[in-house]
Amino acid sequence: MRLEMGHIYIKDIQFASESKIEDGILYVSEEAVKAVALEDEKIKSASFDIARPGESVRITPVKDVIEPRVKVEGRGGIFPGVIAKVDTVGEGKTYALKGMAVVTAGKIVGFQEGIIDMTGPGADYTPFSKTLNLVMVCEPVDDIKQHDYEKAVRFAGFRVAAYIGELARNLTPDETKVYETCTIKEGMEKYPDLPRVAYVQMLQSQGLLHDTYVYGVDAKKIVPTILNPTEIMDGAIVSGNCVSACDKNPTYVHLNNPVVHDMFEQHGKTINFVCQIITNENVYLADKMRSSDWTAKICKMLDLDGVIVSQEGFGNPDTDLIMNCKKIEAEGVKTVIITDEYAGRDGKSQSLADADAAADAVVTGGNANQVIILPKLDKVIGTLDYVTKIAGASEETLRADGSLEVELQVLTGATNETGFNKLSAR
Amino acid sequence: MGQKNYIVITNNPLVSEKLHETHGVVYKEASYEELLTEVRDRIHEGHTLLTHPLSGSVKPNETPYKSVLISSGKGEIDERSLSIIENAIQACRKFEDKTGRYSARVLKDFQLIDWTLLESGLASADAW
Repeated sequence: MRLEMGHIYIKDIQFASESKIEDGILYVSEEAVKAVALEDEKIKSASFDIARPGESVRITPVKDVIEPRVKVEGRGGIFPGVIAKVDTVGEGKTYALKGMAVVTAGKIVGFQEGIIDMTGPGADYTPFSKTLNLVMVCEPVDDIKQHDYEKAVRFAGFRVAAYIGELARNLTPDETKVYETCTIKEGMEKYPDLPRVAYVQMLQSQGLLHDTYVYGVDAKKIVPTILNPTEIMDGAIVSGNCVSACDKNPTYVHLNNPVVHDMFEQHGKTINFVCQIITNENVYLADKMRSSDWTAKICKMLDLDGVIVSQEGFGNPDTDLIMNCKKIEAEGVKTVIITDEYAGRDGKSQSLADADAAADAVVTGGNANQVIILPKLDKVIGTLDYVTKIAGASEETLRADGSLEVELQVLTGATNETGFNKLSAR
Repeated sequence: MGQKNYIVITNNPLVSEKLHETHGVVYKEASYEELLTEVRDRIHEGHTLLTHPLSGSVKPNETPYKSVLISSGKGEIDERSLSIIENAIQACRKFEDKTGRYSARVLKDFQLIDWTLLESGLASADAW
């Protein structure tokens, strides 16, 4: 399968009377994007704002971050089963607007979190301080149920991103990258001497604000399966979760998953990147047994030599992570796991809620309990109303000078477990 | 696994309200950690853990509520259940208790989230 990714670099976003992209500048008609958001009758109002890197702006509570894309050639469309019709994606030609994001914000529950600071120490930790952000804050109709509000904001984000992506359909990309995968047999013939390696991605699948969707299917209802790694670049996996924002994958991360991109970089050189295997993180222990059994079974059937396993979240998924690792290793397939840590504010507590000797190769995204002081910023997009209630916040959260004392947990993407963060020991 | 084959242990009034007429529910006015300890005691009696005690991204002691499914039947002590619950109790102590300072509305949201996490476990339990 061959996918050509055309990158169009966006240098600025401005509101204008007509939506268009010209000379790298995205002009957005506020009226038009509002209309797109309000297509859902459950949304009462939607307001839009622009946040640029370096500005004294705090966005909170963030729900999702999405990179606008458009499918220009090949089967299907962006976000299959969600926005586009169900069709297998991942081949042909897709354009992505680089350097920008659509950020959705909205207070679905009273303790919600998710902060993006565009400047200051917080900006060093969230990758989305580096993107030009078109921020949408949605207010629901009165007396809406949280489930309906979550779904309405989730879909509104995708609709707006698809609308923006569509503006790039007839442009010429600034840069093109080609991703090509082999069938199983082709790969074995082409790279007989390279180790066969796959990526096992664990998806959040626990309940409201803890869900992920694959081609529109709630991931808690899937059994582990195989994806062609280019499928994610067309939006095969989307986020429905945002609680404890540091180690959740916004849709932007699924589209740009660095594990997939790095493995492609090594494909045909040091490894034969066989496929992506997706599995879930349900709360029911028998589901965990079934999913980890199947993941290990698939690894064995594909005659893999090694896998990289990425986790999403903490606690409940620690058990899935260790079950996957242990069972895959027991099949004779080597594993490297990617996680993050809740090691306490002093970093001295045990990092994970589960462990096994088989997990002897671990990459960490950092300690989510680490305390950080976020200075007062000039402008807030969204609301700080509940900031003292957010994960990792404490009684002293809002200090006299207006600064916030919080744990890294609250910063969107700060300890991301696919490596899509700015913390590094390199 | 039908409704008679499991018990819900909870400190969440919403869960108790929704399930007490149709399900086996043990409702305790207890802290998050006390609730986990209650579950551990029952595992020592031979019950098996059916849902993960650290379900949800809202951390222990940030949310005051926790609901856990265990088997209604008893057998030999299940080592895996014991290891998971002991690790969960350890993990719980890493998070400072913030549960005393929420408004009634926020508490209701925490109750709802705990209920949806349990609900996804119930869906799996009832599928047997």
